[in-house]
Amino acid sequence: MRIAVAGGKGGTGKTLFAVCLAEYLASPQTVLMDVDVEEPDAVLFFLKTPGFKEIVYRPVPLVNEEKCSHCGYCAGICQFNALVILPEEIMFFPELCHSCRACYYLCPCGAITMGLHPLGEIEEALLANGARIISGCLRIGEPRSPGLIAAVKEREKQASWAIIDCPPGTACPMMEAIRGCDYCLLITEPTPFGAHDLKLSLEAAKLLGIPAGVVINRWRGNDRGIDQVANYAGVPILSRLPLMPELAASYSRGENPLLTFPDLRGLMGEIISQIRGEMQ
Amino acid sequence: MREILVLSGKGGAGKTSICSALISLAGSCLACDYDVDASNLPLLFELSQVQEHSYSGGQVAIIDSDSCILCGLCEQMCVYRAIQEGLVSQLACEGCALCRYICPVDAVRMEARSSGRWFRGQRPDGKPMVYAELRPGEENSGKLVAELKDQARQAALQENLSLVLSDGPAGLGCPVISALTAVDLVLMVAEPGVSGMEDLFRLYELVQKRPTRVALLINKHDLHALGSQRLQNWSREKEIPLLGKIPFSLEVADAIGSGQNPLEIDWFRTIMEDVLEGMQKALQSPIAIK
Repeated sequence: MRIAVAGGKGGTGKTLFAVCLAEYLASPQTVLMDVDVEEPDAVLFFLKTPGFKEIVYRPVPLVNEEKCSHCGYCAGICQFNALVILPEEIMFFPELCHSCRACYYLCPCGAITMGLHPLGEIEEALLANGARIISGCLRIGEPRSPGLIAAVKEREKQASWAIIDCPPGTACPMMEAIRGCDYCLLITEPTPFGAHDLKLSLEAAKLLGIPAGVVINRWRGNDRGIDQVANYAGVPILSRLPLMPELAASYSRGENPLLTFPDLRGLMGEIISQIRGEMQ
Repeated sequence: MREILVLSGKGGAGKTSICSALISLAGSCLACDYDVDASNLPLLFELSQVQEHSYSGGQVAIIDSDSCILCGLCEQMCVYRAIQEGLVSQLACEGCALCRYICPVDAVRMEARSSGRWFRGQRPDGKPMVYAELRPGEENSGKLVAELKDQARQAALQENLSLVLSDGPAGLGCPVISALTAVDLVLMVAEPGVSGMEDLFRLYELVQKRPTRVALLINKHDLHALGSQRLQNWSREKEIPLLGKIPFSLEVADAIGSGQNPLEIDWFRTIMEDVLEGMQKALQSPIAIK
């Protein structure tokens, strides 16, 4: 089962829950995937043995100066303005390129081949608890993360449990992260921000037809509108984790929450059994 | 005109709450929220006279089913796998127009896609705020941010405001890169925890790629005293002015959550006044060219 841990707003506790669930489900058949590739932090909370490391590339055009007639056709058809052809010079802006290959297919001189532009890295590690973690780390300055997110998810498709730590927001990176998952666990907080962003992430999950459930983190005796948002969307509130300043402090120090606060084990078990129930 | 952008890399570090306090304190400024896929700053101001504008940041292929001969060429060539049996998935299509150029019977046309909306409203102090809403799952958040930046500058010129104060998006991806264009000062808000620090270092590396000034504000500094000390040492080493340290407190969050003005809390107001003063001072310094 592939569970996406998402939630719209940043800092609601996505990584905390992804780490706890992976620890709770720890076995060689469990994998934690950190696809918050702009800020991959889940790995910081585990003891691990580093495994393979791989650079992920995306295709971009390479112009062969000898064949190029500087006709400017490629610049004219590029919808993303990634190519500028001047009489003396060819300029290519990889950060604008969407890797669509239109220039490669349509160049009248056959002067374009496809080269590779680094997107970021994928790193795998074996955790002390027996599970594995696969993290994507976007190259700083690279604007397009979905390709790397897809590459991380592609690495492991056999695991009986895959926990996917997703990026915040509801734009294309978040959609790429939850795509193909069996369940979307949305972590939120009982504030107006939490409620507002939860509404948007529920729309995103619905758009892809993925069943969703809500967890309220830092709960203080009142759902503060989260219940209304969940009810309106027809999704259940699976759990409420009360605000614990000592948990926040321990998490700041990089301690594994489930090992420091064994009581959380019961809560994770409850979330998993509820997801199982929902899926039937 | 000067623009100050609040960023943090990590989400939930307190950007929006801090930015709203700075906006209220500064008063005479244009407020802007670049977090186009989860816009929260407008929730903190009772905006009036909100005008809505639709925004199209790209295009989408449309296949005319009457002329399409279902030859399957476009389906084969589309790297986004956006076409199936002559139908285009709006979500997957990135608008590259390759299908339009290669279609043997000219059955494809490109249409502007609706990517979201942007808004301009008036804050209770009479000054404007601009913000936007990207449609869920849309591409082109960077382009919408660029549009918003244009609108913010136009509005500031109209209203004769010399300062734009902007709340940035989380992460380091395309909306952040776009928001960093022509910014005079980046206020980095950081938490001292292990993930907060990791994210700050990555953010700093990204910000360094642009000619701009930076300053640091530590939030929840007492959650991890050692980490906070490390952050202070780091800022000293990098010669980044540290403008303040905010303790972990539910008082501010509660005030904001229940619609009260957090600046009524004395200690918080004092810190924010120092930060505002520190930012004005930082703006006087020259931009280091790397």
